[in-house]
Amino acid sequence: MIITSLVNLALSVLTLSLWRFWGRTRVRRLLWRGVEAWGDPVDYVGTGKELFIGFLVVLALVYMPLAALYGWANLMLSHDDPRGGLLIGGLYLVTVFLIHAGLYRARRYQLSRTVWRGIRGGQGGLAWRYGLMAVAIWLLFPLTLGWIWPWGEMALARYKLRHTRFGDRAFSCEATAGGLYRRFAVAWLCGAGCGAMVVLGALSMTAAWASGVDMRAMLVALSVVSLLIMVLPWAWYRAGFYRRLAAGTGYVGASFAVDIRTWGVLRLYFGNLVITVFSLGVLRPWAALRLFRYACAVISVSGEPDFAAIAQNSDARPGSGEGLISVLDGAGEF
Amino acid sequence: MRADRPGRFSDGRTAESRPVMVRVLSTGLEIRGGDGLLVAVWRTEDLLPDGELADRPGVRLRCTAEPDARLVVEDAYFIVESLPEIAAAPAATRRRRASALAVALLLGLGIVLGLVAGLPQAARLAVELVPVETERAWGRGMAETLQDQIGLCRGVEGQAALDGLVKRLAAGLVPARRQVRARVLDGAAVNALALPGGEIVVFRGLITQAEGPDELAGVLAHELTHEAERHPTDALVRGLGVGALATLITGDASGVLAGAAALALSARYTRDDETAADRGGLALLAQAGIDSGGLAAFFRRVEAAEAAGGHVPAWLDSHPEAASRAAAAQAARPAHRLPPALRDEEWRAIKSMCGA
Repeated sequence: MIITSLVNLALSVLTLSLWRFWGRTRVRRLLWRGVEAWGDPVDYVGTGKELFIGFLVVLALVYMPLAALYGWANLMLSHDDPRGGLLIGGLYLVTVFLIHAGLYRARRYQLSRTVWRGIRGGQGGLAWRYGLMAVAIWLLFPLTLGWIWPWGEMALARYKLRHTRFGDRAFSCEATAGGLYRRFAVAWLCGAGCGAMVVLGALSMTAAWASGVDMRAMLVALSVVSLLIMVLPWAWYRAGFYRRLAAGTGYVGASFAVDIRTWGVLRLYFGNLVITVFSLGVLRPWAALRLFRYACAVISVSGEPDFAAIAQNSDARPGSGEGLISVLDGAGEF
Repeated sequence: MRADRPGRFSDGRTAESRPVMVRVLSTGLEIRGGDGLLVAVWRTEDLLPDGELADRPGVRLRCTAEPDARLVVEDAYFIVESLPEIAAAPAATRRRRASALAVALLLGLGIVLGLVAGLPQAARLAVELVPVETERAWGRGMAETLQDQIGLCRGVEGQAALDGLVKRLAAGLVPARRQVRARVLDGAAVNALALPGGEIVVFRGLITQAEGPDELAGVLAHELTHEAERHPTDALVRGLGVGALATLITGDASGVLAGAAALALSARYTRDDETAADRGGLALLAQAGIDSGGLAAFFRRVEAAEAAGGHVPAWLDSHPEAASRAAAAQAARPAHRLPPALRDEEWRAIKSMCGA
């Protein structure tokens, strides 16, 4: 995977980055193929051309107008026109909407190109409805001081899973955020305490600065402590989230479970962060491989679906893929 | 004829995987269910290898005539070995393809290198199109923003002395570029900045640390050359180009790689600008009859600060190595002693602007 990443980097530089769509496709083939269920591997059958076309369409139809509007709003702001601020606020919401709708569409594309035993996956549902749900949750986030988050996150995940199909059958998902709030409360309180500590620290730092004391060691200690206090409960919350999500999910008689622990989440995220940052993003495929391996290791399925009753997926497949998300940010990378 | 082989077959209509017996014929494979009924016949020329089993000997096969169907045959590598060369294009086509790829890659490399090399010239051409008034408006806006943030050092006599020194140095420039305004800001940095449109910002730190007016004059001469050659505006325009180019090369949506590439690129261009400004600054000093020893002293101080604060490699740093710059300024010193750039009371007035 590391060699593939480096070859992709070299080809991207030489082709003025056009290779990246084909490179991403190669990486995905390797990632998908590494997953096996009931003795048969998963195939990725998307092509670089589909990604490229999707990118071009969105670049012309979405990104350029959006960038022009942002430029216009900035111009208004620089002339002290209050409408500029309003426009920026509106555009910000539109961008949040487009990113989430784009993530949903990217998932639709990827599932439609995912094949197991010759049977395709798919995703129904409406990307714009998912995008609006996300915008509503983002708007409520500050109003509820963040307490909407577990509920909102679970609602979005539920919508995605309920509309996820393999063959002609959809997954079911009854997971709720009910039991999650205990973990969230701990994470929230730690986060709030940490924020207060940072403010206090900054204040005392300014005072100490004025009296000429060197506070660098103190600063380092403070950031390490606050990081630990923030990160540990967060990983604990994430582990709880995925446990509940998997436990609530079913597919034609099969039920799922994930044996995911705080320490595993921490190691995965921290390792991937280090890999991505120190390779300047070049080794992101390796980070994705770690994610896939971890997921395969912790997910377990009980009960075997009646495979003979699962017929081929007959949804219309999107002709081109994930332009929206590959233009707006790197979230849909692999 | 070889014996039947056990296997599993998915027909691509349902997700079932049923046990089958596979009979290998010279024309292809006959796939029969457990009941002995024929399930499918795959012709040899349609077969595609699809990997091997991980845990035991066996191969996976697909068939171009039934793209959704999958077949696993245990213990049967000979099937794959006996397959006709899959999609093996004639040697001539392969050679042509390889050379086309090589040409495309070379062309891509050439375009990238051309863009990297041509960017400064392109930026300079674009800057020629920027009217002087627009440039001045940009510079004034930037200088005022800095002034609001950092605070201005005031003093009527000090400002007059500073203006006089700037005017004396600027006399060596072409008339169109002589309109320059310098201001002292209340920052601790031992540094000065050239902004677009003839706006020069000197920080308090530079003046309080300087041992004499010649040091200030040396730095001003350097910044005046930046102004004369429109480097600040160049750098602005180039910054846009560098960002676009870096994103183009790396294709990095998250901006991490693009940011690093842009940093390395713009540092290289800035270094070229600095070298030009050093040369021009020395010429201005000579024309104004000011000793370049002050500039050399300034660079030596920068060098000492760099040595104390960890070394930045030259290719990353925007300025050429301070030691070699100090040496160049030292070498340009005139043979005979020159009077200081400012009279004592003028220098004291400038120093007192920031309460020093």
